[in-house]
Amino acid sequence: MTTDQQSKVNGVKHRHRTEGPQRHIVVFVFSIVLTLIAFAAVAAGGVNPTFTVVLLLIMAVLQVFLQMGFWMHLKDKGHLLPIIFMLGGFFIAGTCIIMALYWVWWD
Amino acid sequence: MTTAHAEAANGTLPHEPERATAEGRNKVLAFWLFLGGEAVLFGTLFATFLALRNQTNDGPSANELFHLPLVAAATFILLVSSLTSVFAIQAMHRNNIAQLRNWLILTVLLGLGFLGLEIYEFSEYVRHEEFGMTTSAFSSAFYTLVGFHGAHVAFGIAWISLLIGQLSYKGLTVVTAPKIYVSAMYWHFIDVVWVFIFTVVYLLGKVG
Amino acid sequence: MAHAHTLNSSKPLGHGSSVKRHTGLMDWITTVDHKKIAILYLWAGGLFFGIGGLEAILIRIQLIKPMNDFLDAQTFNELITMHGTTMIFLGVMPVIFALMNAVIPLQIGARDVAFPFLNALGFWTFLFGGILLNLSWIMGGAPDAGWTSYAPLSTSTYSTTHGVDFYTIGLQIAGLGTLIGGINFLATIITMRAPGMSFMRMPMFAWTTFITSAIILFAFPAITVGLVLLTFDRILGANFFEVGGGGSPVLWQHIFWIFGHPEVYILILPAFGIISEVIPTFSRKRLFGYSSMVFATILIAFLGFMVWAHHMFTTGLGPVANALFSVSTMLIAVPTGIKIFNWLFTMWGGQVRFTTPNLFAAGFIPTFTMGGVTGVMLASAPADFQFHDTYFVVAHFHYVIVGGLVLGLFAGLHYWWPKMFGRMLSESLGKWTFWTFILGFHMTFFVQHFLGLMGMQRRVFTYLPNQQFDLLNLVSTIGAFLMGVGMIIFLINIYLTSRRPADASNDPWEDGRTLEWTIPSPPPEYNFKQTPLVRGIDAFWKEKTAGHTAMTPAEPVGSIHMPSATAIPFVMSVGIFIAGLGFMFSRDEFGNAFMSFLFNNYIVTALGLLITFGAMLIRSLYDDHGWHIEPEELEGR
Repeated sequence: MTTDQQSKVNGVKHRHRTEGPQRHIVVFVFSIVLTLIAFAAVAAGGVNPTFTVVLLLIMAVLQVFLQMGFWMHLKDKGHLLPIIFMLGGFFIAGTCIIMALYWVWWD
Repeated sequence: MTTAHAEAANGTLPHEPERATAEGRNKVLAFWLFLGGEAVLFGTLFATFLALRNQTNDGPSANELFHLPLVAAATFILLVSSLTSVFAIQAMHRNNIAQLRNWLILTVLLGLGFLGLEIYEFSEYVRHEEFGMTTSAFSSAFYTLVGFHGAHVAFGIAWISLLIGQLSYKGLTVVTAPKIYVSAMYWHFIDVVWVFIFTVVYLLGKVG
Repeated sequence: MAHAHTLNSSKPLGHGSSVKRHTGLMDWITTVDHKKIAILYLWAGGLFFGIGGLEAILIRIQLIKPMNDFLDAQTFNELITMHGTTMIFLGVMPVIFALMNAVIPLQIGARDVAFPFLNALGFWTFLFGGILLNLSWIMGGAPDAGWTSYAPLSTSTYSTTHGVDFYTIGLQIAGLGTLIGGINFLATIITMRAPGMSFMRMPMFAWTTFITSAIILFAFPAITVGLVLLTFDRILGANFFEVGGGGSPVLWQHIFWIFGHPEVYILILPAFGIISEVIPTFSRKRLFGYSSMVFATILIAFLGFMVWAHHMFTTGLGPVANALFSVSTMLIAVPTGIKIFNWLFTMWGGQVRFTTPNLFAAGFIPTFTMGGVTGVMLASAPADFQFHDTYFVVAHFHYVIVGGLVLGLFAGLHYWWPKMFGRMLSESLGKWTFWTFILGFHMTFFVQHFLGLMGMQRRVFTYLPNQQFDLLNLVSTIGAFLMGVGMIIFLINIYLTSRRPADASNDPWEDGRTLEWTIPSPPPEYNFKQTPLVRGIDAFWKEKTAGHTAMTPAEPVGSIHMPSATAIPFVMSVGIFIAGLGFMFSRDEFGNAFMSFLFNNYIVTALGLLITFGAMLIRSLYDDHGWHIEPEELEGR
């Protein structure tokens, strides 16, 4: 880590400094497209509701993956522990949601 | 480590100033841990909402209440603000304080726009739809979930504004950089939560 | 190394001599030293533990004979609610945090925790939350809906005093402190370990602290939300748990137990860690099956989140859910059994010395196992329909919490007392504590299994004669007094020890295996003059077997960076405390118009939040550069 930083800082080439905004704009466009698909599917109506629900959830999860991976840098090296703890949080959150969907009301 | 020191001392910054010190790295890591806890916090709120979404108690239902154009506008604003906050961090990595400040100001303005829309939406529901906190279990769950997110946005606006202020008189240092980086993480996380809110609360509410 | 001197090179720094040193009370209010915060946690936790213990004694006096009128039903309800809530949130958890704070940085070879400021903040929010909760006794009645606060009993329809508000707001504030502490220990263990100490070389107590903190991180947000929802129901008129408005009381049970079951593992895992330190030390053997212990700890934590509905079998979740949660609950017996056998195999063939800590550890194993066995009995859903809400359940959870956790805490306190205070507790008094406490414990709770099987209901303030309950209840009450005697002997031991000179050596038990025993007792404020180099599990023992008397340093003697003392955490907690009180009384009618104006317009709440956020703002605006202890001062000691 330290040597890596030093080489970046002291080296002739500052690889990261040339990183432009393009990649993030691509993520942004993808996010917009995913959002549009979700809104359009609902606005259009008439489609099988089960299909719509599944589609909406897939769009949401894809968008979250994109944003957490690129914008929050989870895809970069050295993020193993953040990934573990975020997955842990999402796992418990998912458990709560399963509880809410199946075990609060029953006939 | 020594490099970071030397550079901090002579006024230049390392490439990733937020990770230049042990304190900075600890802060970023601990903030990730905190976000893991926040995921559970919002997960429990979503669970509550999902359990109570059909309990309208003869009050308005989701389908009657929500107007998608307003939600779409709010979504777009928050998404753009997430992008501007990415650009802010890129500017920080280029050590360009002026651009960093401008992107942060833009982020705050967009956040204010989002918050304004939400306040407008809530006040419309309360005044014209007779849909308040006490109307039904659905209304309580709706206001609590969306309101918790709104409160996070409001806190984020105050926080980033404070950092913009600190940037002007402290400059970009190995102390301020981790703060800015962490506030950007927070802002992205708010956006991620909103993705689930517009999907689960508004769109699925319309689907029924 | 890294944390010793960072980030401050841009500014000239004060030396140790020029730093303003607080003394007396101000020192305790402003301290950010993990060793002092440990002592604060210990005294505060001990105080609440004493209150909870007195409540228990009152409960047992009421139940000493049938149709007793020592307490009325309302007071009894308040006492059982406050006994449970106080013991779990304000009694044992702070003592756990006391031991974590006292030991973890030392065990991993660190000079402090990752966030000393947050450490202090966590303590003060916990303390003010606890004070708020206990203020209920003198401000209109304590909570009376049980420590689980089930709706609809806890909703404003059935609980008209402010009791449950004190519960929801007090626990939210105290819970905030716990969450902060959890994140702090996670970050500390991840980033502050000494060179050479990989995760798989960490002492077991550090491992269980790590896993416990992770459970805290994922469990406490759930209860925070639950408490917020209940507060909104009670104060803002929301409908989460109000059936009339479409709410669901079962939802409260789910949210409470999604937090509540992991909470019991938050309690017991640190005890497992303590036992895993004490037994190897006094067996002069390394812990049997170290990696299986780590694996079992992680598995228990995971399964702990997957079993919450076993508290709710009788709500009628249906056969599928009940079967699922029965099986997952029984699964927990597997990793727990691994641990029990590992401890036994550690003692097997070792040179076992029954010092006081080891007596408590040895007493822990069979006692905890009994609680585990009744746990598996309760896990069976059909059987649970019979056991539910009887004294069998009361016996079960006291076996795991008192027979497990409290014995573990006693072991840990006796074991690390010389490290925390520089004085060995008296061994003979310690053994008296052990025998009176454990005999009293089994007398109190063993008979309650049979009371439960015979049908005695928990949470009922009295019982009719001629149901064969009389004798067993009398035995139980006598046992409770015997436990009280054990506690008093322990307090006498503490008092007498504090009068003796602080002469404990670095390694007072002589067989210390881990890093905390390589430095003076109590340690200097910087802990390690030089960060040690760790060369294996049980780092100090490894050096001892190699014929060394000290650790190999990983760095030259150098200037040590220390965080500044600050009162900001204290002020922030006072602010939250005021805001909580203000919110609680925001819908009240006051005789005084000015008071009504202040509370009903949320002015008190706003003022409290202003204090908290103002203090936060000051913390953010003024960088804490800390100060340095220079090598000359280190040598001068």
